[in-house]
Amino acid sequence: MAENILEIRGLNKHFGPTHANKNVDFTVKKGEIHGLIGENGSGKSTLLSQIAGLYRRDSGEMFVDGVPYDPANPIDANRHGISMVMQELGVVGNLPAGVNVFLGRTGQFSRFGIVNMRKMRREAQAQFEKWDLDVPPLNQMTDGMMIESRKMIELARALSVDPQLLLLDEVTQSLSLNNRRKLYELIRKFKDMGRSVIVITHDIEEMVEITDTITVLRDGAVIGSVNSQETSPDEIRMMMVGREISGDYYRADMTPTYGENVVLEVSDLTVPHELEEVSFTVHEGEILGFCGLSDSGIHAVGRAVYGLSKPTRGRVFLKANGVELTSPTTALNNNVGYVPKDRDNEALMIRASIRDNFCLPSLTELKGPVGYLRPGKLKKLAADMVDSLSVKCTGIAQTMDALSGGNKQKVNFGRWLAKDLKLLILDCPTRGVDVGVKAYIYSLMNEAKAKGIATILISDELTEVLGMADRLLVMKDGRVTRTISRGEDFTEQTVIGVMI
Amino acid sequence: MSEKNLRASGNGNRQNRWLFPVLFAAVIALLMFLFNLVSGGAFLEMSNLRVILSHIVYPSFIAWGFCFLFACGYTDMSIGGVIVLGSFASCILGNKLGIPGVVIGGLVVGMLLIFINFLIFTYTKIPSWIAGISLAMIYEAIAVFLKMGSRTKALVTASLEKPYRVLGQLPWSLVFLAVGLVVIYFLYNRTTIGLNIRALGGNKDVAEKLGISINKTLLAVGLITGVLIGIACFLQQSYAGQTTVKTGLTSINMIFQPLAIYLLAQIIQKRINIVICVPICAFILYAVFNILTVLGVPSGTLQEAFLGLFIVIFGVIGQRKVKGVVK
Amino acid sequence: MKNRKKIKVSEIVPFAAFVVLFVFFTIVSKGRMVSAYSLKMLLEQSILTIVTACGVLFVVAQGSIDLSVGVNVAMSGVIGMHIAAVTGVGWLMVPCCMLVGLLIGLLNGFLVSKCHVPSFTLSIAMLIGLRGIVNYIQTIIGIEYVPASMQFITGSACRIIAFVVIALIVAFVFEFTRVGRYSQAIGENETTARFVGVPVSRMKILAFALSGLLAGIGAVFSVATVGGTTMTMGAFLEMKVAMAIFFGGVLVTGGSSARFYKVLLGSLSITVIVYGLSLIGMSDSQISESVEGGLLLVILFITILTNRGKKGWTKDEPEPAARLKNPTE
Repeated sequence: MAENILEIRGLNKHFGPTHANKNVDFTVKKGEIHGLIGENGSGKSTLLSQIAGLYRRDSGEMFVDGVPYDPANPIDANRHGISMVMQELGVVGNLPAGVNVFLGRTGQFSRFGIVNMRKMRREAQAQFEKWDLDVPPLNQMTDGMMIESRKMIELARALSVDPQLLLLDEVTQSLSLNNRRKLYELIRKFKDMGRSVIVITHDIEEMVEITDTITVLRDGAVIGSVNSQETSPDEIRMMMVGREISGDYYRADMTPTYGENVVLEVSDLTVPHELEEVSFTVHEGEILGFCGLSDSGIHAVGRAVYGLSKPTRGRVFLKANGVELTSPTTALNNNVGYVPKDRDNEALMIRASIRDNFCLPSLTELKGPVGYLRPGKLKKLAADMVDSLSVKCTGIAQTMDALSGGNKQKVNFGRWLAKDLKLLILDCPTRGVDVGVKAYIYSLMNEAKAKGIATILISDELTEVLGMADRLLVMKDGRVTRTISRGEDFTEQTVIGVMI
Repeated sequence: MSEKNLRASGNGNRQNRWLFPVLFAAVIALLMFLFNLVSGGAFLEMSNLRVILSHIVYPSFIAWGFCFLFACGYTDMSIGGVIVLGSFASCILGNKLGIPGVVIGGLVVGMLLIFINFLIFTYTKIPSWIAGISLAMIYEAIAVFLKMGSRTKALVTASLEKPYRVLGQLPWSLVFLAVGLVVIYFLYNRTTIGLNIRALGGNKDVAEKLGISINKTLLAVGLITGVLIGIACFLQQSYAGQTTVKTGLTSINMIFQPLAIYLLAQIIQKRINIVICVPICAFILYAVFNILTVLGVPSGTLQEAFLGLFIVIFGVIGQRKVKGVVK
Repeated sequence: MKNRKKIKVSEIVPFAAFVVLFVFFTIVSKGRMVSAYSLKMLLEQSILTIVTACGVLFVVAQGSIDLSVGVNVAMSGVIGMHIAAVTGVGWLMVPCCMLVGLLIGLLNGFLVSKCHVPSFTLSIAMLIGLRGIVNYIQTIIGIEYVPASMQFITGSACRIIAFVVIALIVAFVFEFTRVGRYSQAIGENETTARFVGVPVSRMKILAFALSGLLAGIGAVFSVATVGGTTMTMGAFLEMKVAMAIFFGGVLVTGGSSARFYKVLLGSLSITVIVYGLSLIGMSDSQISESVEGGLLLVILFITILTNRGKKGWTKDEPEPAARLKNPTE
């Protein structure tokens, strides 16, 4: 019997040009609750996915219980006593909850080819009750259920293989307080039984609270492991962000600087289940930061301002142009730009050329008489932008999918700078890009600020908002809970205190 | 995101589960009563009901086939062509070997051709409905060729001898319908393969990550659909006694009615299992056609207009709450 | 890195297919394919397909499909001609055909963009329903001939001129205005288009309206070619149009793979097959039909094969994104 349930040595994983895991050494002891933390794109989900058999590693060794381990697929991993609740996997909506728990393994309940549904439901119910979780209606289709119930079904599915090692990737963020407590309880039971859990969560306080050991990843490499009892959230944050935390890539000044004119006026904005009576103003040349937990409504603010969601109350008034922003088209035609969070699915046309992606928001400005878009004009705009942003590509006819994340983001961000903007909405503009591009994007933001463009900066990364914003709105449960100006109480402690 | 808006609909209230089916049955009964009233009592006469019942059998099998086909995202436009060829085989073998020949002919050709279609869909990755159009052209051409090859050039029909048509007539066709209903119900709802097929249709990524083999499941869909279409082939031939050769893609017309049945069934499937919905919807559809005929609405022209209208209306109702990208 | 524009293999396929087909039939028909008469016939036989396909191109670029254009041709042709016959004003047939086509297109567009009915299902329903109505109308009014005052449109010179003008206008709108660009953007990624601010639902209605309008114009061409309405007017034209577009190398997902020249190439290729087969004495419908079907399969397969590299892009973030949801594909 080995002391470690899982041992990983020198693991590497590449996705195209991205080196997602660099020489990772990682050990989980039996009966240990191990936290895995790092910024977006630091490779933690990738690491778990390899342990759970979703991807094959490129090189390195893995041992489970001292025995070499190389899972061919998730089912194979289950056989080795490892199961995972994935961040975005979800459930099959057109199948009942009970079936979802055992999907892929329904054969074990069949006799003469007919699946015994009652037995399967009973078994599913037993799983929920065994771990003291609320039992969802097991014969109901899951597509009508709340996200939380669906997550619990996934949890039950992972538990039903009776794992020795349970992997939880961002499970708590979609759970209510009540279910979170139950999950903590479950984790404790696991520990008592001598089993292990690996937890990924963005909530550092939560992580320190529930884990024994925390391993920090940055840019795909392990930075170090600490004992949860002996560490503090600050230390971990330091490790996550690294040395670059202070210094030049954010703004140096500590006073708010912006013009007097109000560009945007949002009042009582309410979107069902997303926003509750949100009001704020943005001024010329101001960077207005939004921070909060990822379900606090910060991302919904961006969508609502750009007219992408239908508010039931309140209004978004672009004072600079004297128009109300009710649809994305109105926004586009009134000098407003929006950089959404999900680059590949919401922002870019991934199979189209760089030229088409650059020109899309500017077509109205580029058109001549009778709507004529002269190809030369489009080409020039794209070529100029490629040059000024130094996008690494073979030419403007190249398709987006061949670019790296950072260069994609340059296109995504830069195409708005080709326009004469009044307001720019940025949702996680530095998500998944490397440090160099990050610094470059901050310098572009500063340039925009200097030109008098009002910016709404929404980010999951607190340091980024603190580093760049003139004023900062903290959100919680769809409401703005506090407004802080630069120089006042502009520290992480204050913000986190309000955030959670 | 928007998923947050999804509210739990009726938190497992047991009474609610039966409310809709009961209401639905009541509406159908009312409809039947109305039809009867309008037609001056002709509608509910035994002979008339027999006409409707014997008519719904083979379209129901095709519609069941659609349930499986659509589950993996395929739309096969060549099914009409397959049915013409399958019916030919059923007819030729039937006239030679009797009833077993009828069954074997339809089943073998139907299964074989659907299987070929599936291989083409899966391996060439050509969008199924376009590949289906090409295949329909090929199958139509083969059908014409087969008929042209026989003695009379003008003959474009194949007819099955009377005694061998019993499978398509009452009560045998209803036996097929009943057995088909039970078997398909279990296959769709209570077997691993059925659950896997539905998982594949619901969320391919999840299905794959849970260890369901995509290719194996697709193969199973091909086989099941093949059997269902094969059955539809010989039932069609037995019901109609003859099959007209279709050219110029007119074979596609043959799948419109089953398609309408499937679309209808799909809309109420949240409340009533789709396998059960199919024959019910088939009955409603043909009852409407029947009453339109009784009322003197010309068939083949304005009745088709009603069919189109039906699909549009139910399409609109069915997509009422859909928010995402629809192509 | 060289800045030279690389020509992709996938873009050569439709050209290659056309050239190969043309050369093949030229050789097999012992040169009869390249006679002035043959070339004129080729063009004339393609006109109706191309005109109708011009409209459908906008819909296909958005990743949708319009299978109602065939029946739309019949509907607008029958009504337009009837109005001309009843009023006795010959020229009225042209605007009336266009108006009816446009209205059907608008209805389609409304149902697709506002009611979220999948375009495939919807246009199939239209195909069934409108055909029923057209047949009904025709059983009452019978077939009608082009009015005497409008006989000039039956001349091929007039039709070819009108065709060239229409093709040029559509080429301009699709390739050089926002309408085409936005349509392509919607096909590439509808979410992206919406997030940028493209008026997605307006564009969808517009695309279907254009598709309907050009079907209405197609109706004029159809009656001009035959000299009047027929009972089988526009029958399966929608399938021919869809084939032409995809034959030309447009992907079903639309987007930037949708180009105007591909419509021309695809339509001409199909006509070359049909006409070529008749030239060499194989005009029997079953042979030409199966050859068409088989060739379509092969060429689509090659098109998709050469495009496959594009599909599996490498994501920089390995999270499994929940895409792959297109019921009609």
